[in-house]
Amino acid sequence: MRHGKYPFIIGFLVVPVALYCTFVVAAYIQSFQLAMTSWSGFGAIKYIGFENFQKLWNDDLFWKSLRHNLFLLILLPIVTIAIALVFAFLLNVGGSQRGGVTRGVRGSKAYRIIFFFPQLLALAIVAVIFGRVFGPDKSGMLNGLFPDSWSPWLFMADERWAMTCILVVLIWQAIGFYVVLFSAGMGSISSDIYEAAALDGASRFTLFFRITIPLLWGTIQVAWVYLGIAAFDAFAIVNIMTVDRGGPNGATSVLSLMIYRNTFEFSQVGYASAIGVVLFFLTLTFAALTLRVTRRESIEA
Amino acid sequence: MVATTPGAPAVRTRSRRRVDEGVITVGRSRAATIAANTTGIVFSILMLFPIYWVLNTAFKPADEVLALTPTFWPKHPTFDNFLSAVKAPLFLQDMLNGLIITLLAVAGSLVVGFLAALAIARFKFYGRRGIILVILAVQLVPFIALLIPLFLMLQSVSLTNSLIGVSITYLVLILPYTVWTLRGFISGIPRELDEAALIDGCSRGQVFWRIILPLTGPGLVATSVFGFIQAWNEFIIINTLNSPEKQNLMAWLLQNQTTRGTAWGPLMAGAIITSIPVVIFFLIIQRNIATGLTAGAVKG
Repeated sequence: MRHGKYPFIIGFLVVPVALYCTFVVAAYIQSFQLAMTSWSGFGAIKYIGFENFQKLWNDDLFWKSLRHNLFLLILLPIVTIAIALVFAFLLNVGGSQRGGVTRGVRGSKAYRIIFFFPQLLALAIVAVIFGRVFGPDKSGMLNGLFPDSWSPWLFMADERWAMTCILVVLIWQAIGFYVVLFSAGMGSISSDIYEAAALDGASRFTLFFRITIPLLWGTIQVAWVYLGIAAFDAFAIVNIMTVDRGGPNGATSVLSLMIYRNTFEFSQVGYASAIGVVLFFLTLTFAALTLRVTRRESIEA
Repeated sequence: MVATTPGAPAVRTRSRRRVDEGVITVGRSRAATIAANTTGIVFSILMLFPIYWVLNTAFKPADEVLALTPTFWPKHPTFDNFLSAVKAPLFLQDMLNGLIITLLAVAGSLVVGFLAALAIARFKFYGRRGIILVILAVQLVPFIALLIPLFLMLQSVSLTNSLIGVSITYLVLILPYTVWTLRGFISGIPRELDEAALIDGCSRGQVFWRIILPLTGPGLVATSVFGFIQAWNEFIIINTLNSPEKQNLMAWLLQNQTTRGTAWGPLMAGAIITSIPVVIFFLIIQRNIATGLTAGAVKG
């Protein structure tokens, strides 16, 4: 039995480990190296130490982009998780209870498919669709729905609201996944627990806050980390949807967009890599903090 | 007699209430039911409306698309938009590219991922925790920061502007999810089965091939569908690595959005065609979707 274990392990793991060493680990090391250079993407590479990071510190657009990322980081998980939890609850235990069996609201299977649908569409398509939804003139979907006497809303072209539009799109796209994720989690909570609480006279609110949420805590944590990472990224939507990529006037610039534009438009690969390094540490710090701060005594379901 | 007549309904209501108390009702009123159903329906409309609008636009002739007062239904439905999307330069070429890349990446990640998941789920060895942590951490870091090194690396082995280079990159992209999910499925297979087979004279290889692989079937289906969706929908990497004739439909779609501007009809038609494979796959597995999503994630 023990005999011949390592040949299998090595044989099974050699390919994935090699792939990760080249594509992820080596790539990151190179990225860290490039962050110390003034490389433009062409020609000789010159090391300049921490100059890029100094420049970053004094770059207004960097702070603005970071603020936008933080805006998403705070609101995207809270709103998405709240909505998804409520719907997962409705779909699983929100309906009538005949014969002591908790059920979801009528049509819960259909809802599950409907909510998941946006998840199937590529971000590219979602962005194109919402470009139409938020069209700033009368041919845009929302403006078309408003009465003719209203002057068209600018949506993405309005500095104050552009970031909110992005948030709405990200939430719209993400909800389905989390409804399904939470539903699966709720499905594994024994109905005995609900019944016992119901017999003790717990209301639906009490059930939700005292039973569902504590028992789902691990899943909610995972969701929080995933959504936080989506908030740190958000590149696809911002790149495609926003006016003048990150505009108007930098109102929708995010760090990932800065990386992309510095690399491919401004030929500042060194600077872009420095932003990448910052983003790397921000994401890891966020994930570690979330998992640590939200740690609770685990409750066996 | 006169006195008992009004009393009778009262008795009946009381008895009915008693029947209700027999089953557990959690302070459930009619109003709450209506509220729950209304929320569900209103929200479904919000979720579906943009998609409905895409369909609406795709079947409208050009003059209706840009009409100042948009209509909720195409007055003269037409397939012209679909035809002009399909006939557009590079559409079919990019569709084929996308298929090849996606299938290569998914097939590769299934083979590599299954073996890696086997090693992690069935063996205890030095560095196992480390490997699990790395797999999880890879999902955390934003891939966009790796675009430059990735490009340089693939360029140095002349794999930029090739379908193979992109396939390998996508394989790396979907591998963590594949390993993690399959690990969950394999852990769910009782070890007693392995041992029974070993006692009956199977070799270790045969145990993996004849026992574990068939039992992981549903897991393989679920992971391959999610891998397919991810690889099919990706466009940033392929857009960076390859020239227009070596791209997929997503990248094509974006290219056409910027170059054609207001040709919304064909663009929406293209978006629909592009989404069809993913939607079909989804409908096939939608029953098992929760299992596929959570086999790895929830049980951590």
